[in-house]
Amino acid sequence: MPLIATWRALGKGTRAVLREIGAHGYYLRDIARAISETDTWPRETIRQMRVIGVESVLLTIIVAAFLGGVTAFQTRFQLFPGVQLSAVGLIARQSIVLELGPLLTALVLTGRVGARMTAEIGTMRVTEQIDALETLAYDPVAFLSLPRLLAGLVMLPALVMLANVAAIGSAWLTLILATDVRTVDFVDGLRIAFIPFQVVYSLIKATAFGGAIAFVCSYQGYIAQAGAEGVGKATARAVVITSVAILTLDAIVAAVFAPFVQA
Amino acid sequence: MKRRDEVLVGLLLIVAVTVGVAGTVWLARGGLSSGYEMYVRFPWGAGLKNGQPVLLAGVNIGFVKAVKLDPNGTLVVTLAINNEYQVPEGTTAAVAPNGIFGDQLIALQPERAVTTYMARGDTIPTGKGTPTTGELLAKGDSIAKDVEALTGALRTEFVDGGGIANLRQVTADMAKLVTQLGTIAEAQSVELTRTQRQLRSTLAAIDSGTVDSTLRAFQTSATNVAAVTEELRHAQTQVRSILEKLDNGTGTAGKLLNDPGVYARLDTLLLRLDSLAADVKANPRRYINLRVF
Repeated sequence: MPLIATWRALGKGTRAVLREIGAHGYYLRDIARAISETDTWPRETIRQMRVIGVESVLLTIIVAAFLGGVTAFQTRFQLFPGVQLSAVGLIARQSIVLELGPLLTALVLTGRVGARMTAEIGTMRVTEQIDALETLAYDPVAFLSLPRLLAGLVMLPALVMLANVAAIGSAWLTLILATDVRTVDFVDGLRIAFIPFQVVYSLIKATAFGGAIAFVCSYQGYIAQAGAEGVGKATARAVVITSVAILTLDAIVAAVFAPFVQA
Repeated sequence: MKRRDEVLVGLLLIVAVTVGVAGTVWLARGGLSSGYEMYVRFPWGAGLKNGQPVLLAGVNIGFVKAVKLDPNGTLVVTLAINNEYQVPEGTTAAVAPNGIFGDQLIALQPERAVTTYMARGDTIPTGKGTPTTGELLAKGDSIAKDVEALTGALRTEFVDGGGIANLRQVTADMAKLVTQLGTIAEAQSVELTRTQRQLRSTLAAIDSGTVDSTLRAFQTSATNVAAVTEELRHAQTQVRSILEKLDNGTGTAGKLLNDPGVYARLDTLLLRLDSLAADVKANPRRYINLRVF
């Protein structure tokens, strides 16, 4: 009897996962179809780029500055005696550009932008504004989801680029002010084994993360249940799912592209 | 509002792209003016990567721009040298370790101080590099063999040859000797302590007044002795003068002692006295005419 119950539970869970995947697939299809609605999404895309990108610049730079400073500071004091000080620059650059810059920027923006996105769309869903758009022959996906996805895909790389520069600048400032590492050591380390593809790799991650934030958060808002509680649940679920998605994408991108970032 | 959004978004994108591209170029090429290129061909360059420093006589003058494997099996390393530096003629290049964790650098070593320089784009000849890990291991292996041979010799000498037993015996003897010396030192210490105590009590018993009077008596005696000595010296002088006169025959005594004539006359006198005594003895009445009444 317990075996049958377990089997049923397993089947139910599998069906739920498959249903979710299928629903996401339909949502992605709707977004792709919405590209043809060129009268609807371009204007809103610009607004979403401002919301996602411009309004997040300060937060991103502050987070990145602390990230770079702490990374460099800790790296310096973890070095064994005898290791050349330029290793600090190398480790800081690799940590920031390849991993921490895109990852932490994406996680921070998940909280700031993703949650807002889900709440906005979810509220529109529960107040039947989305239904009203459909009634007015507007494609809600073209108006709500596609602009956010495009904005996320474009603005995350831009923010990550700024974050990388801010983090490296902060690392340099921290090292020369608080440790015995000199500018020449740090710059030497920054240049060791650098290839431009490392920046491209960082941008690939940022693009993937930006897409994940916009896609998951807008979808969770789109399917929010009625009531304030429904919006709250959708928002919390969106943040959790997006965070896990970002970490999963991080691992996938690393597995695929890591061999190419080696000089 | 729409126009303002477009401006802000456009500005952010331009700044991000500019910063990203400029940073990438700066890291990859050392800036827009990346200097000039020179080349080195190495037969072996494990650990060489672009971005590693290029040092001329220990001064950072550029970085490794590219590392490519030539089809002929050599490694072609492109160096980006800063415009402000030139590579002197006769300079050789070598791959040198940078730190102890496998990082490398290109070391350019000028042969001597010259004022002629290699042309930009030249290939710098390779010189003798620092020992590789394999060479260091071989050297370490050689040292280990020497140590092993030395250990064997020591074992033969000290273990098989009984050296350790001798050392132990010597150590035991030394310990015994030290013990004896300790005993002697202890006894001597007791004796010295006793002597010191006696000396201290003797010194304490001496009356300083007595010592002073004794010293004064000594001084008086010494003065008297000095006077006696002076008088003796005076007497000696007089005796010497008398003896000299006697010896020279001066004066009555001198003549008596030294003049042969006096001797002869004395001798004659004695003879006459003898004959006189004999005559007196024989004829007393001739000389002694004693009448009583």
